[in-house]
Amino acid sequence: MGKKKSVVLIVLITLILAALLFLCFAPAFPLSEIGSFNALINKVDLGSDLSSGYYTVYYPEGVISKEDYERLQADYEYAKDDAEESGEAIPSDIENPEENYAAYKGIYLSNDIYEDGVVSKTFNSEFNKALRAVERRFEAKGYSDYTIRVQDDYTIRVEVPETDESPDTLFTAFGYSGGLIFSDSDKNVANKNVLMDGTSEYVKKAGVSNAGSSGYAVTIEFTKAGKAKFAEITGSLASSSTDGSGATLYIYIGDEQLMGATVSEELNQSTVYITGNYTKASAETVAAVINSVLDEDDIFDLSFEYPEYYEFAPTMGDYTALALGIALAVLAVASIIFALVKFKGMGLAHTYGFLTYLLALVLCVTLIPGIEITAGCILAVTLASAIFIGSNFHAFDCIKKEFATGKTLTASVKAGYKKCLAATLDVHIILFLISLAMYLISTGVVVFIGLVLMLAIAISAICSVALTRFYLYMFLAQPKNKIAFVGFRREETEDE
Amino acid sequence: MSKITTKKCLLISLIVSLVLIVAGAFIFGFVGFNTNSVTSDYSEIEVSYYGTKLNEQDFLDEIEKTGKDTIAEAGYKISEVKYSEEAAGGRGLFEFVLKKDLTETQSAELVASLETSLRALTVTEGEGETYHKDVYRPHYEYIWRTAIAMGVGLVLVFVYVAIRYRVGMSVTTLVASIHDVLLTLALIALLRIPMGTAVIGIAACSLILSVFMNLFVFGKMRKDFRSEERKDLPAREAVALSSSESRKGVYVTAIVAAAVLLVSGVIGAILGADLLWFMLGSLLAVGVSVYSSLVLSPAIYASVKERSDAARANKARYNYASEKKNKKAAKVADKTSEPSESVSES
Repeated sequence: MGKKKSVVLIVLITLILAALLFLCFAPAFPLSEIGSFNALINKVDLGSDLSSGYYTVYYPEGVISKEDYERLQADYEYAKDDAEESGEAIPSDIENPEENYAAYKGIYLSNDIYEDGVVSKTFNSEFNKALRAVERRFEAKGYSDYTIRVQDDYTIRVEVPETDESPDTLFTAFGYSGGLIFSDSDKNVANKNVLMDGTSEYVKKAGVSNAGSSGYAVTIEFTKAGKAKFAEITGSLASSSTDGSGATLYIYIGDEQLMGATVSEELNQSTVYITGNYTKASAETVAAVINSVLDEDDIFDLSFEYPEYYEFAPTMGDYTALALGIALAVLAVASIIFALVKFKGMGLAHTYGFLTYLLALVLCVTLIPGIEITAGCILAVTLASAIFIGSNFHAFDCIKKEFATGKTLTASVKAGYKKCLAATLDVHIILFLISLAMYLISTGVVVFIGLVLMLAIAISAICSVALTRFYLYMFLAQPKNKIAFVGFRREETEDE
Repeated sequence: MSKITTKKCLLISLIVSLVLIVAGAFIFGFVGFNTNSVTSDYSEIEVSYYGTKLNEQDFLDEIEKTGKDTIAEAGYKISEVKYSEEAAGGRGLFEFVLKKDLTETQSAELVASLETSLRALTVTEGEGETYHKDVYRPHYEYIWRTAIAMGVGLVLVFVYVAIRYRVGMSVTTLVASIHDVLLTLALIALLRIPMGTAVIGIAACSLILSVFMNLFVFGKMRKDFRSEERKDLPAREAVALSSSESRKGVYVTAIVAAAVLLVSGVIGAILGADLLWFMLGSLLAVGVSVYSSLVLSPAIYASVKERSDAARANKARYNYASEKKNKKAAKVADKTSEPSESVSES
């Protein structure tokens, strides 16, 4: 590489790296009166171990909290006093909770399901069925981290990480009971006209698809019979529209409206795409609810209520993400200083290579949608960084050994990299294979660890095998004494 | 010759590992892992508040302190205190997670004493206390799918190592990896290290470290066995020499891994206990991987190599040509003999 070309490249690459470093890590500052600059690192989605999350408690029909019981009691006492003063009877809609409910652990159960200290078998089995369905719904969401607990035997406590989806919508939808129904009646109609039941006979599965400018779409895949039936109902709906603008097809889970879609023509297709300002997360929620009720055996009738939902602090503490980030940064800086001291000019190439690796990784993690970073992901990044650093140092050692055999510096670089290529590729390929298996097969937090490790390993391979070597050639074009630049010393032999 | 590659050493290593794994499996089978705060079942006292005072940190600190003191006075220990805020309302909620379960009477008494002590704190702010028993629901799908993923990952590694290295090394890596994961999990069960779903992460960490360190040693062996000095050495001696020369690299890898884990552990100790236990579990994985890559794997591979070398030597004693060459020669011989037979028939 010529000196001029090298200077141009050094300046250009330094500027690009500096700009990207600023874009990725610079602290936030006000940009104008209404907006402010926010670095890309702040846009990384964190799991509930590093960021906050939400939880709620689902109360099935016939089960109330202590607080609700006390409220009912207060209402009754108030109505009773009022009735005594006015001499009128207590209104029929105000019930005496002491007559209707009994305490059970930290909750109150209605007399319909809890009599003589025994909870009815029907309620027990219905609750267990509902619990399994709710579990499957949350499992299908693929959260990096979520927890389900049964509280006081008959309520379900769910904790989920913070996402771009409204927790209210999520918790409401995942509490729906009943089967999937396609109807032309809106939610105000008491007895809905069922056009088609959404059972496994007609519906294969629901999914999510990217709908371009419309955001995301919920896809419903039909069986052969379902396709014919859906064509029939959409055909009759379209023809029923008097002004030609189309009629609305409503999709319900039990009595709750999940979505409504305008139908203007017969839809004779095996998969329908329903758009409606869905984000990826909200479309996944709808798909998860639909998929959970396709098997008739999984449909439950117990209706759920959740009185409120709470926001909780990161499960690993408020500052764990920051502390782990700082620790990672300290380790990175230490590795750079070590490289610069031990390998001199080669250390400089390593510094550029490491920065490129780090920036590429941050860009991937922030720009690829849906990645949630947990403490496990940070450890995966640390592992990949260690592999990257180890690969570079191994290559530099090989170059040093080759140089000691009497080769020129350029020949030593070439031979050193050739010698360590097999080992470097072996390590990267093996880790890539393990992380690929984790990403494709596992679920929950391991999917994200697998994905992050896969990305980090791929970037590490490119940066160590190609980019650091390129940077080394780029820097070697500059100094007059290249050997001194990389900290090597040629042993002089005297002729006798 | 080093004692590491002797049959006796292999036998002792396998017996020690087997005893530990079986003991760990028994402990796991009877009482399971020592669950951490995330995955364990627990009893909790809930104290909820609403009102403007929730914005005052002093008020919240006072509630927390009073709650803790009252529970301690009643003779119960707290393992964790959580605070959360109602997202769409003005309520704040403290959860005092207790170390042991309470009976109905005990919980009613504790809730009553909390009501008395907390009501004395404030008159205007609304407050409520209740007792709950929480049972954790394990993520079975997550566990079995991750186990399958690790199995598939191991098979992929086995195939890759068999192609790039030698089949014997591949088999040894497979055995060592399974051994390391099982031994790490057994030690976690035996030492009663509190563990939640992170145990899966430790198993994955153990698998990766084991494969990495074993391949480091086998990489050195592969290189050495090709060299003129080493290729004629007896199997056990050659393996012993290469493994002892790989020690430095394995130790450096282990020290770096342990240092990173220690840093995360220190952060965990300061900020949240979960990382601390993860660190301890992972440090066990590091130790087990060092042991297997420097002791168990060389001993296994020495036996494998000794047999394969003997088989090769036995074959070479009678026929120096390769099997492929012999087959080719036989085919050529068959072809050349066919025309002469046809001529004789005519």
